[in-house]
Amino acid sequence: MAGSVLAPVPTSAAPTAKGRLRRSLRSRRTRSGLLNGAPIVVYLLVLFVYPILSTLLLSVKGARGGLTLHWYADALSGANLGVLLTTLRISAETSLISVVIGFLLAYAMSRLRPLWAGLMMLIVVVPHFISALVRTYGWIILLGDHGVVNGLLVDLHVPGAPFQLLYNEIGVIIGTTSVMLPYTVLLLYAVMRGVDRRLLAAAASMGAGRLVTFRRVYLPLVAPGLVNAAVLSFILCLGYYLTPALMGGTKQTVVAALIDDQVMKQNQWNGAAALGVILLLLTFAGLSLLRLARAIGANARQRGAA
Amino acid sequence: MSQRGPRAGAGTLAGSGKSLSASGLRKTYAGVVAVDEVSMEIEAGEFVTFLGSSGSGKTTTLMMIAGFVEPDAGVIKVGDRDVTRLAPQKRGLGFVFQQYLLFPHMTVAENIAFPLQLRGLSKAEIRRQVGQVLEMAGLTGYGRRRPRELSGGQQQRVALCRALVYRPPVILMDEPLGALDKKLRDQLQTEIKNIQRELGLTVIYVTHDQEEALVLSDRIAVMRDGRIDQFDTPRELFERPRTAFVADFLGAANFLSGRLEEHTAEHTLVRLDHGGILMARSHSYAPGHRVQAAVQPGRVGLCAPADGFCTGTVETVTYVGTLVRVGVRPHGAESLVRLELPAGRAPVAGEQVGLTAEAGDVTLFAEESG
Repeated sequence: MAGSVLAPVPTSAAPTAKGRLRRSLRSRRTRSGLLNGAPIVVYLLVLFVYPILSTLLLSVKGARGGLTLHWYADALSGANLGVLLTTLRISAETSLISVVIGFLLAYAMSRLRPLWAGLMMLIVVVPHFISALVRTYGWIILLGDHGVVNGLLVDLHVPGAPFQLLYNEIGVIIGTTSVMLPYTVLLLYAVMRGVDRRLLAAAASMGAGRLVTFRRVYLPLVAPGLVNAAVLSFILCLGYYLTPALMGGTKQTVVAALIDDQVMKQNQWNGAAALGVILLLLTFAGLSLLRLARAIGANARQRGAA
Repeated sequence: MSQRGPRAGAGTLAGSGKSLSASGLRKTYAGVVAVDEVSMEIEAGEFVTFLGSSGSGKTTTLMMIAGFVEPDAGVIKVGDRDVTRLAPQKRGLGFVFQQYLLFPHMTVAENIAFPLQLRGLSKAEIRRQVGQVLEMAGLTGYGRRRPRELSGGQQQRVALCRALVYRPPVILMDEPLGALDKKLRDQLQTEIKNIQRELGLTVIYVTHDQEEALVLSDRIAVMRDGRIDQFDTPRELFERPRTAFVADFLGAANFLSGRLEEHTAEHTLVRLDHGGILMARSHSYAPGHRVQAAVQPGRVGLCAPADGFCTGTVETVTYVGTLVRVGVRPHGAESLVRLELPAGRAPVAGEQVGLTAEAGDVTLFAEESG
């Protein structure tokens, strides 16, 4: 390997693209690079590119052969459109709440001593190691009409108790948020630990109170982490299936559940493929939203400087 | 960008310095005394340096003045205002950190504008003042850059601008040049001193570098073990060090031990341990008292053997620019006496010489027991 790094780079300008290709294939660096890269390329082709391409193909295949956008029209109309919007709504709500709670937890952790921070981190992350099914049923036991939470609320004579905490949107949001929380906490904790706290002291030395320091110095410094955490949990939530299915009602049917329904019950692979592609596009949309947010942020700063 | 003559903007920024007084400051950490009985009066427009090695309490004292550390006892006043128990942001002081601590998400101009925005100035006024200090620091045109795009020296200049743009009554600096190389440090020292003098700023500066302290300061507080050994002008610290530590720390003095022989109104005679009698300035120690005589290397002269207060052999001769550092070993002594002589008068190694010193240049200290 050391030799390939030191391999001489062709110095003469290549006259044609073909010549360039041939010469570059002759060079040891290219050959060893291809050799080393081959396994991962094959892996991606078989397990990633092929399934996606075949799904794409499936989603535009008509009932009697030929290409059609019929399945997409189907997926984006009537009840299916409602399901799509529900998925987006649940994802957005989950992402917002898990970022807010994650921010508070991560902030507390970044202020605690390492021992306590580690312990808190364990409490946040360990539920993630438990099987999703077990965890979800755990929530169902806790949140049921006669569950621990409602039992406690009734004993405390909280007006209105017991509350309906399951088989509605509240249940779904509680479930998905608890799944996303470790991601947002870990992400935000890393960003917050990276903030030089002496910058806050510097702000104070110039006369900035706690609130101003937080808004003008701390928040802008952790903002990239907040955006990342929000988009990550939004994207993860888009394809989430188990929790909405078990903890939600009929009004909380999500796209993933619809896909399951179409494949398992209706043997309707084309429609399912179209829904899958739409989910994929939404994920890409989320990612480009992230880039857009960053660009806008950078732009705003540029303008502010002017 | 640096300009001679009157600096732009000096007029509106000038005369903002106020006096500061500290009395009986004390701070302990888990029973260990970090600062003890520190009291001082600093006048408006004065440049004061806390000089000491690490652990001497100089930074803790500065942090107490800034408000980042709460004193166990004592009072701090800025002008007539008691600020002892106020939070840092309520004191209105300026602070320049060793690590610059510019806000990385703001441009240079935004960094400097930050304290002005906190004070509710209009946008036009902020722009005017930011432009003014940038010009003063020779950074015109750098306003839109990010701190990370600047060199260390430029970043510290920006930090300095940010600390003085809102005209704080006192500016505190915690080893601001500690992270810079020698050449840049010398250059910035001059700039800081010029700006301080022109704007009449009250500055409290912390450093462990004697040379830096001497270049910058009107007065220096030499600190050791949480206390001020001596708080005086550089000249006084050199000419009349009050403790052996000050004489050693600032001037790298030669110490000769001996016994006090007699003293008159004008001078004191000391019999040195390795023979010879040294004349020192008058002191009130009783005859027979063990003393240390301190003489700066530059204040020891050569003479014919047997004419001086002691005789010895020249062992080392080192040329340092226009100076020669000479080490002379008095007969029977273990340590060398260090001299600094003009290059023309250098002896050669192995030569027998006598050493002389003016009585006024010799300071006596009681020998420390243990």
